[in-house]
This record gives sequence, structure tokens and C-alpha cells, in this order.
Amino acid sequence: MTQQNGLEPGTSTLRAWLALVRLSIGQQFRVRMMIWIALGLLAITSLMILSITVLGDWRQTDDRPRRRGPTYGQHAQRLVAPRSVLAGNPMAGGVQDAITASISASLQTSGFRVFSIFVVFAVFQQFLLPLWTLSFATDALGRERESRTMIWLLTRPMPRSAIYLAKYVAALPWCLGFNIFGFVLVCACGGEPGWMALRLYMPAVIWGTLAFAALFHLFAAISRWPAVLGLIYSFFFELLVGTLPGDLKRMSIGYYVRSLMYDATQHLDVAPDQLNVYAPVSGDTSITVLAAVTIVLTIIGMIAFSRTEYREDLAT
Amino acid sequence: MPNASITHEPRLPESNSAAPALLFEQVSKWYGPVIGVNQVTLELHRGITGLVGANGAGKTTLLRLATGQLQPDIGQVTIRGVEAWNWRAKRLVGYCPESDVFYEEMSGFQFVESMALLCGMTRRQARERTEAAIEQVGMVGRSDRKIRGYSKGMRQRIKLAQALLQDPKLLILDEPLSGIDPIGRQDFVDLFFALAEQDRCLLISSHELEELEKLTNHIAIMARGRIAAVGSIAKIRDLLDQHPITIRMELADPRRTAALLLGHPAVVGIDLGPSQNELIARVANARGFFADFGRLVIEYDLQVQHLETIDDSTQAILGYLLGGRSG
Repeated sequence: MTQQNGLEPGTSTLRAWLALVRLSIGQQFRVRMMIWIALGLLAITSLMILSITVLGDWRQTDDRPRRRGPTYGQHAQRLVAPRSVLAGNPMAGGVQDAITASISASLQTSGFRVFSIFVVFAVFQQFLLPLWTLSFATDALGRERESRTMIWLLTRPMPRSAIYLAKYVAALPWCLGFNIFGFVLVCACGGEPGWMALRLYMPAVIWGTLAFAALFHLFAAISRWPAVLGLIYSFFFELLVGTLPGDLKRMSIGYYVRSLMYDATQHLDVAPDQLNVYAPVSGDTSITVLAAVTIVLTIIGMIAFSRTEYREDLAT
Repeated sequence: MPNASITHEPRLPESNSAAPALLFEQVSKWYGPVIGVNQVTLELHRGITGLVGANGAGKTTLLRLATGQLQPDIGQVTIRGVEAWNWRAKRLVGYCPESDVFYEEMSGFQFVESMALLCGMTRRQARERTEAAIEQVGMVGRSDRKIRGYSKGMRQRIKLAQALLQDPKLLILDEPLSGIDPIGRQDFVDLFFALAEQDRCLLISSHELEELEKLTNHIAIMARGRIAAVGSIAKIRDLLDQHPITIRMELADPRRTAALLLGHPAVVGIDLGPSQNELIARVANARGFFADFGRLVIEYDLQVQHLETIDDSTQAILGYLLGGRSG
């Protein structure tokens, strides 16, 4: 940003921009309805996860493949039982031992898989991450538009594109802070598999937050109802398009977040049955796309904001 | 109001100090199919100019074009040669909007200081300029309270204070006297005069011509998106002499009076009113008519019980220029 002398040698556009970032960060302290909803969802999710952790087990040992059949743990035990039958055949016994050990090991690590699929992928990545990002990212400009205070920003000697960028930068600490804090809390409530998920999925959470924030911030620049638009995008477009087979899902941000998560756990057998259909891209590709989406959407937003007239309180 | 002033001279390399403080060149602005401002040409250099017009006449649109919040569809708006939409032009103009919105959680001082920081001033500069501006608008001792507890007049003062921060040569004030008590109005009027004496250009809008008459003799009247007239109030009144005014009379014999008045060259229409002794006359040259009417009353013993020019107020004068609508 160029240093622009104006009123006095000491005045600068950069300083004005930094002041706007500071002001905007402070303004987002004021908790509004969307943020209360986000906090409520975090509390409910955390309590549910905590109750499962405390009262049950994330592993599949006690799960039943059929409603009235034996559990996976009982299946494993049954595989051990015929060992005596094979006493006379050491080779067959060895194979039997290997199968039993494999199943036992799989059951031991199934907690992480279950936690990943049901908590991280289904709840956090598809639902909470977009929603929490939406709460803060749409609020940065949306609040100014709604309360009609945009006039104070638009009459300052600062390029409009810089105002847009300042608002995005100011929203990021809140988006990242809430998503990271929320993810840490959710994972902490999940016990051992949660801690493992936290370590492996955190980069995807951060990259996803940046990209979603850029998108929702753009919505606030181009629409008077950015939260509604964001909700429609998150829960219709992302859910619908993001789960379709084929290449269409590559248009959704969630696809690259999920791909990044799969990439981090490809050695852990998290979603082997889905990979062929889901066809995730590599981690590097995911990061590149998410970074590019963030930058491109921010630039589009800066251009759109620079050209848009805001007439919320205009009476001719 | 204390007579504090900010004395430094703005240094604006991009602007042309010889260019008009504000220039509209054949500017039109549409809101979809509705025209907000229609082919407006206006050139202001210094002093106070009053912008008057009925609600919906296009005043706010014009001011928003001048402050770079709206872009003209046709024509160009410049401030000292810099296009108003360009962010650099915003260093040259102070704007006091009509809309009564603030960051309500802030105190008046915090708000003005925040605006100063958003102009790119250092913390020290911002504090000094805020203190000076707060003093100029007479808010010393009251600016530490939260804005949400302010009266309308105090809010107007804070809006004006932020407009003064950059010590602009052009001040655009949208209904600045609205909601202010008489003492406060006088303070503001004195401040506007003081600013105008410092070779500044002030464009002040109001829907009340009388309010602006106290401030300036130079008026621009807006009607239906156009500048209907620009000039001194006397010049506009002369112009108005060519437009009919309506006079209501109560007389002992309205029919005889009507017959007499119909022969007068200034009278363009006569109606007998709803009540028995009422007469309504439309008169083209008001001054010429009244000069002769006194003579007729004496000569024919017309026994006038009541006479009023229904639209002889400045509001009505404005109404004529607005095409038959008053204020």
C-alpha cells in the first residue's frame, strides 16, 4: 500500500488501513445473534462428544454389524476360539493368528476412524466450520451495512479496496480463533482419538477457514443478506455438490478441505471405502487450490467493493 | 461557542487549487428507472451556498455524488479537479451526513478520534485534531459520554466535528441544523460564518429556505432532480414575480370584487371560495398587484375583512419553483 501524503506529512493511507483493521477487530467483540448460535452449537457438540467419550468408547469393539448379532469384539474373540482346532497345522494356525491380530489392531485404532468420520468430517468440517466462519466473516461488512455505518468508512481518504481488505484481515483472527478454539475443544472432548485428529486435521481447518472466510466476506460485499446467502451455500451447495460423484464437487471448498484431511490420514485407513468414489486430490493440490481460492475471492471482493455503491440509508 | 480553529494549510499534491472547490458538469444519476439527479451543472468556489429542495428533490443524491459515495451515470463531479469518486478527493472534503448513525458504543470523543485515525493521522495528531474539532463544535466536557445517550443536537455536533477533522476547504453539510435548539443553531451559524470567512466553500442543504436565508444569500434550489434556480434570494424572488401566487380574501361583496379584479392585468384567475364571502385570486405579478389593490379597496370601498396570501411564505415561494408543490 502506498504511503500517501495528504493533510500533513505524517498522515498515511497505511496508517489509516491499520487503524481500520484495529477498529474492526474491536467491533467484532460485540456478540451478535449468529455468534451466540455458534457458541451454542459449540457447547452442544462438545457436551455430546464428551458424553460419548465418558460413557462409551469411540472404538467399534462394542458395535454390532447386525442389530441382534455379536459385537465386533465378540467376532474377534470367536476367531481366537477355533485356534485349538488348528493345533495340528502350524501354518494354518499362523494365518489364523495374523487375521486375529489384524482385526484386534483394527478395532484398537477404530476410535480414530469413528471420530474422524462422525465428528470431524460429518459434524465439524461440513457443518460447524462453515457456520462459525460465516458468523464472523459476514459480520465484518454486514454489520456496517446493516447498521448503516458504512458511510463513515466510505467518506475516509482510503481506497475502497483497502477498506475491503482491512475488513477481511480484521475478521480473520475471529474466524481462525473461533474455529481453532472450537476444534481444540471438540477434539479435547473426544479423548485419545480427538487429540490425534487435532494433530492431523488442524492444517485443513486453518486452510478451510481462510477460504470460507474469503467467500463469506465476498457475500457481504455483494449482498444485503450475506448470512442467508452463506447458509444456503454451506448447507445446500456444499452438502449437495460436495458429495456428488464426478468432478462437479471440485467446485466446492469443502472438497479440498476433506481431501487435505484424507491426505493427512492416508496411512490410517480413515475412509477406504469412500476413496474410490470420492477421488480426493493430494494434500499439496488441496493447499494450492485453497490458497488460490482465498486470494482470488479476496481480489474479486476488492474489485466488487470498489465499484459498488452502498445506498442502504439513501433517500433521494 | 469557543472560537478555536485549526490553522495549518492542507498540502494536496494531486489537486488543482485553481479549480472549483466543487464542480458538477451535466451530471445525471439514476436509481433504476427513477432519476435522482438530472443534468445538474453547478460550480462552487468559496463561501456558503444553500441547497434547498423538498424531500425527494435530489439533495442527498447530489451531496452523495459530491462526496464520492455515488458515481454519476452521466457527467463528472470533481473536487478541486479530482474526481469525487476517487479516494484522494476525500482528503479535500468534510462531510456531515444527514443520517443519524454512529458507532453507538463509543463516546463522542472516541468516535471523532477514530475517524481521525481512519484519515491516516498519528495517534498524537488524531488526539490534537479531535480536541480542536470537539472544541469548535462546542462539545467540550460532554464528549466523553456514550453517543447512545446523546440528544439530537449533540449528535449533530459530533457529526460536524468529524467533518472538520481534515480542515477541508470544502464542507458538505446535509441538514446540519436539523434537531438543534435555537441557541445551538446560532452557534452553528456563527461557526459556518467563521469557516466561510476562512475562504472555505460550504454547501449546506436544507428543506427549509428560511433556515438557509439566515446563513447565506446564495441559494441553489433543487426540484425533481434538477437545479431549478441558483443565485441570491432576491434574484430568485424577482424570478418568482413572474410566477402566480394565490391570495385568499374575505369580503363583504366578493362578486363585485371579483368583477373589479378580473380587469386587473396581474390577475390570472378568480375563484369564489367555498364560504359565501370568500374569494381566491391567482396573481401573476404579486408586487404590482398589491400596489394597485390598496387603491381599489379605497376607491370602491371593498370592505376587506381578511386577506392572506396562501403561499406567501418562503415555503410557498419554494413551492413554485418546485412546480406547484410547497416545502
